[in-house]
Amino acid sequence: MVMSIVKQKFSIWKLVVGLFLCFIAVSVVLPLLNLLARALSDPDKAFLVSGTEILPRGFSFFHFKVVFHNKLIWTSLKNSLIITITGTALSLVLTSSAAYVLTRPSLPGKKFFMYFLILMMIMVPGMVQEYFLVKGLGLMDNLLSMIFYKTVSVYYLIIFMRFFEDIPKSLTESAELDGAGHWTIFSKIFMPLLKVPTITIGMFYFVTRWNEFFYSSIFLSSEKNTVLQVMLRKFVVENDQVNMFGLENLNANNAIAQLDMEAMKATTIWVALIPILIIYPIDNMK
Amino acid sequence: MVLYCMLLPTMVYFLIFHLYPIIEMKLAFFDFRIFGGNQFVGLKWFKKLFSTPMFWRILKNTLIISFMKIFLFFPLPILFAICINEFKKGAFSKSIQVISYLPHFLSWVVIAGIWFSFMGKSGAVNTLLGKLGVGPVDFLTNKDTIRWTLFASETWRSIGWDSIVYSAAILTIDPTLYEAAEMDGAPRRSVIGKIILPSLAPTMITVLILNVGFLLNAGLDQVLNFSNDAVLSKVDIIDTYVYRIGLQSGQYSFATAANLFKGIIGAILVVSTHLTSKKLTGKGAW
Repeated sequence: MVMSIVKQKFSIWKLVVGLFLCFIAVSVVLPLLNLLARALSDPDKAFLVSGTEILPRGFSFFHFKVVFHNKLIWTSLKNSLIITITGTALSLVLTSSAAYVLTRPSLPGKKFFMYFLILMMIMVPGMVQEYFLVKGLGLMDNLLSMIFYKTVSVYYLIIFMRFFEDIPKSLTESAELDGAGHWTIFSKIFMPLLKVPTITIGMFYFVTRWNEFFYSSIFLSSEKNTVLQVMLRKFVVENDQVNMFGLENLNANNAIAQLDMEAMKATTIWVALIPILIIYPIDNMK
Repeated sequence: MVLYCMLLPTMVYFLIFHLYPIIEMKLAFFDFRIFGGNQFVGLKWFKKLFSTPMFWRILKNTLIISFMKIFLFFPLPILFAICINEFKKGAFSKSIQVISYLPHFLSWVVIAGIWFSFMGKSGAVNTLLGKLGVGPVDFLTNKDTIRWTLFASETWRSIGWDSIVYSAAILTIDPTLYEAAEMDGAPRRSVIGKIILPSLAPTMITVLILNVGFLLNAGLDQVLNFSNDAVLSKVDIIDTYVYRIGLQSGQYSFATAANLFKGIIGAILVVSTHLTSKKLTGKGAW
């Protein structure tokens, strides 16, 4: 990295630009490393970590152990994973099959369907009505409500259609001559060709679903169906110490109750970050 | 036939989860009754809405926050893309880019957690300010700074990601233009001012116009996570208002009227900005 800077011609302008870019990168990396430093610090020394430090004071997984000992974290983590994974799979199946159908030239009524979808993109349902809908379907406090919520994005559907349009027609024609049906052409020929866009759009769906918190907090009211972002909000934004440390620990005022609040918040933030950091490089491989 | 079957799940999804709740927004013209049918009341709720001083304050907040996020933010990704372009493709520019995209993938809950930590009283920013002799600045619970905090966190989240479209446009610039400029011994600033910026103009117009289409979306998730009692009057937006009067206080018809107002203005804005952009640059929202 340093070499590639040195090799280029030096000038004050480049220096200013380089510093500006470094400033932006540091503004992202520094807070994340600072939080990690707090999370990995020795419980007795965690409160000493200042805002600009990136190395833990002492080293211990104790904060992570306490967080993962919290049943609510496991329940919400499990629910978040169920909703995100099944939801993303559902989104991809619906979006890609619809995109395939809508790019077939032989489809009667294609124009009508497109107008309908664009209308759906422009008009947004009301919050109260979405609440009544989920209630009316009996899906309140049911993970299915969040699996179905925002399943298909018209925007991603249109992007998918552009990729389908780029596949040469001759491929479809020869497959049809061999007697292959639409489902076979779609699943055996088209989808394997579109691995990269499918992964990319899948990742966008994944990230949106993983990060969703507002509607999860409305539709999933009970503790056993809560999701990680909602838990995280309780800990990090609302400073809910009872759920974070556990009532029995607070009453006993034991070692866990005396942990540094900032370090515990930092640890929960990192728990929520890990899936994003795992999936993040996949997108950058392109 | 097979084609329609493949399209069916997506259409059913939109009919149930999108079109139905939109139609149900007719509640804005009715009085809500738990038992018996809703009573048609014409524009009663809209009249009440427009005569509520709170609503105008909220509309003003929404517009101010949106304007900051659209117009003040607008030049920043362009600046970022130009700065990245000053460095040859290599490890340095690639790592800056990859790092700068990361915040785009984080939820607002996580971002709020990170910002509370590094903008808080003992966070990195105030530690550094303290070293410069500037006493701790309260960014998060201060009425005067909170909108700037919203703007800054939006910038932090989006500057890298939103620069992608400009970086892509810079790559399409004809290399012979650079060569000609080099032959003439043109300074770097005129290369940027006379070659790069003009070639970004169509992209700028498209981005700007399409963003105006979302003028009334000031960012529900962000505001919910950054607001607190001290600053609520400065960051209360239409979405948080609908949530509060609708789902929290149960004034369903009134909330739906506010929501429908937002939806109709939003739809008009999206369609007209789409048509404007299409006319000016040939590229629309879909």
